Amino acid sequence: MIEINGLVKRYGDRLAVDHLSCSVRAGEVFGLLGPNGAGKTTTISILATLLPFDEGEVTIGGYDLRREAERVKPLIGLVPQELALYPTLSAWDNLAFFGRIYGLRGSRLRERIAAVLDLVGLRDRAGDAVRTFSGGMKRRLNLAAGLIHQPRVLFLDEPTVGVDPQSRNFIFEHVARLKAEGVSIIYTTHYMEEAERLCDRVAIMDAGRILALGTVKELLDLLGGGVIYAGLDAEALEALLPHVRSLPRVKAASLQDGRLKIEAHEVRTALLELIELSNAQHLPLRSLAVLEPNLESVFLHLTGKRLRD
Amino acid sequence: MMMLNQILAIAQKDLKIFLKDPGALVLMFLQPLMFIVVMSYALASLFEPGEERIQLLAVNEDHGHQAAAILRQLDALDAFQGETAWQGQPLTRAAAEQLIVDGQRNLAIIFPPNFSRALEQDLATAQPITARILLIADPATPAQLTEPLLGTLRGLIERRLFTAMIPKGLDFVFAQLSPQTPAEQRQNFKAQAEQAVSNSLLGGDKPLVEVERITPAGMRVEQLPNTFQQNVPGYTIYGIFWIVSLLASSVLQERREGTFRRMLTAPLSRAVMLIGKLTPYYLINLAQLAIMLGASSLLFGMSLGYSPIGLIVVSLIAAASATGLGVLIAAIAHTEAQVGGLTILLLLTMSALGGCFVPRFLMPEWLRTLGLLTPQAWALEAYQDLLVRGYGLLEVLPKVGALAAFALAFFGIGVWRFRFE
Repeated sequence: MIEINGLVKRYGDRLAVDHLSCSVRAGEVFGLLGPNGAGKTTTISILATLLPFDEGEVTIGGYDLRREAERVKPLIGLVPQELALYPTLSAWDNLAFFGRIYGLRGSRLRERIAAVLDLVGLRDRAGDAVRTFSGGMKRRLNLAAGLIHQPRVLFLDEPTVGVDPQSRNFIFEHVARLKAEGVSIIYTTHYMEEAERLCDRVAIMDAGRILALGTVKELLDLLGGGVIYAGLDAEALEALLPHVRSLPRVKAASLQDGRLKIEAHEVRTALLELIELSNAQHLPLRSLAVLEPNLESVFLHLTGKRLRD
Repeated sequence: MMMLNQILAIAQKDLKIFLKDPGALVLMFLQPLMFIVVMSYALASLFEPGEERIQLLAVNEDHGHQAAAILRQLDALDAFQGETAWQGQPLTRAAAEQLIVDGQRNLAIIFPPNFSRALEQDLATAQPITARILLIADPATPAQLTEPLLGTLRGLIERRLFTAMIPKGLDFVFAQLSPQTPAEQRQNFKAQAEQAVSNSLLGGDKPLVEVERITPAGMRVEQLPNTFQQNVPGYTIYGIFWIVSLLASSVLQERREGTFRRMLTAPLSRAVMLIGKLTPYYLINLAQLAIMLGASSLLFGMSLGYSPIGLIVVSLIAAASATGLGVLIAAIAHTEAQVGGLTILLLLTMSALGGCFVPRFLMPEWLRTLGLLTPQAWALEAYQDLLVRGYGLLEVLPKVGALAAFALAFFGIGVWRFRFE
């Protein structure tokens, strides 16, 4: 459904999107995971025809994004980070407006409004002004506005920011339902739990580049069983490193930021082996940190930074 | 001590916030300052006689010296500045009327050829000579100005009559009296002399000199404009330009809330978005004009002039220039504070310069010229032409053209600089 090859976007000298390539299949939930400023929103803005790009090729639904943007537009729906709604208008009026700019009219428009209001559970509040809604209800209506014209590709840009747990679950359920209906979804988030729960595949982004791309399992495998960070005195670090590398459960070991970084096949056993080794060598551990295998630790492993940095 | 520190901390914080808000600074300081400057200069002629004197075209066709004497006395009052020549040529009535029609001046006084003869005539004459002084005034000139001028003129004329007539009256009496005249007949002669002087001075049955206010040739004015015709155009124009604030704030809100961004992903062009966005504000402007003019006509009996088509054309273009200014402000302002500051500063200053609050002819020449750089001045002139001066569409076309140029410039720059995100 979406093919991206060598996508580049520059702001002056800064590369906001750096030779990004990937594809998204019909009915796939594709996650873009990365911290603020990683290039997720810029990428979505380009795909949603909001921003021109400098290099590369993009096709959506078989149409070239650069040359056939007008054919792409009816296929896509954007649910932006901000609540792009008119607070003084009712939920119905908001949806009617967004439906009309996609060419929906008359009974078809009314049917679609009713359908998306049902979908997001706001049918009974259709006539109320949006400003009277809770944050979660506004988020759900924001989602409904992106679905009014039945897009084949949906861009969800951080859709759960500031949402209560109940509305968050609501959104998760609808993402699953849309996926079942064959809608391709690009889902940006910096919440790893969301990516793990919802996405078929995840691209981990930082500084405009995709650092890793695959299913959640494939990405977790990058980390193996987990990572141990061990703090020792400076001389002890150098002395212990060759012994650590020889431990059976250790995949790789290196020095990073004055600590010993140990990638393990099986993190708990490796931890015990490390403690025994330090005792045996009389090189006492000053600190210990264990990263369980999840996307957060994969990101930390890949970039040396935390997702929320 | 702790409490004082807390008060100081809060006060200091709010001052810092205030000083970082350009809109608030403009609102609180620049806006009143601009208003003080413009209005003080505009009203200088009313409050400071001699500083900015009201210009009065004077056409002296009098064959004697009485009219010249009145003009000298008028000049000496320091309130008016008589102009007897224009560009080196002595003024004629036709030239004076044309200058009023062209909007260069508002008032002209015409002394007839027989003015001195009327003042200096022999009281014994059987057919008294009468003279009529004309005050030609642009109908848009408010009565607050014309009435004091008429009063001043009448006072000066009476003074001239008095000084000219008293010796004549005495001559008449002494010529008629002789020692042989019986007392009864002498009383009769005295009564006749008093009657003659009184008629001349106080009006009597038919005063020797009349002052009449008329409008220049070419203007179709059946009755002098009332307060609504004088005030409605100015305040209506002032009102329609406030659409700038409404439009610019709405554009900013769409940018901030991301609704423009959402629309941009839909299959519609930016031109369609912009036209759709501006149309309601243009219609609101037209509705404002229709309601203000219609209500003034229906409720207060204000005449709408003789050219409905002229009124429609001027309204369409005036509304376009107001909406255009809204687009321009929306394009250059990036924050609500900037919209607020710019709107208040521009609208109050432009409205004052354009004559919405004070007639432009009362302003000094340089301020009048500056006023021509505002659409308000052209819109006001066009409405006054139609409502007060009785003109039709053809006569207001040059002003419509100027307004259209403003609208085009505002839209052109505004659309060029417009950003949806």
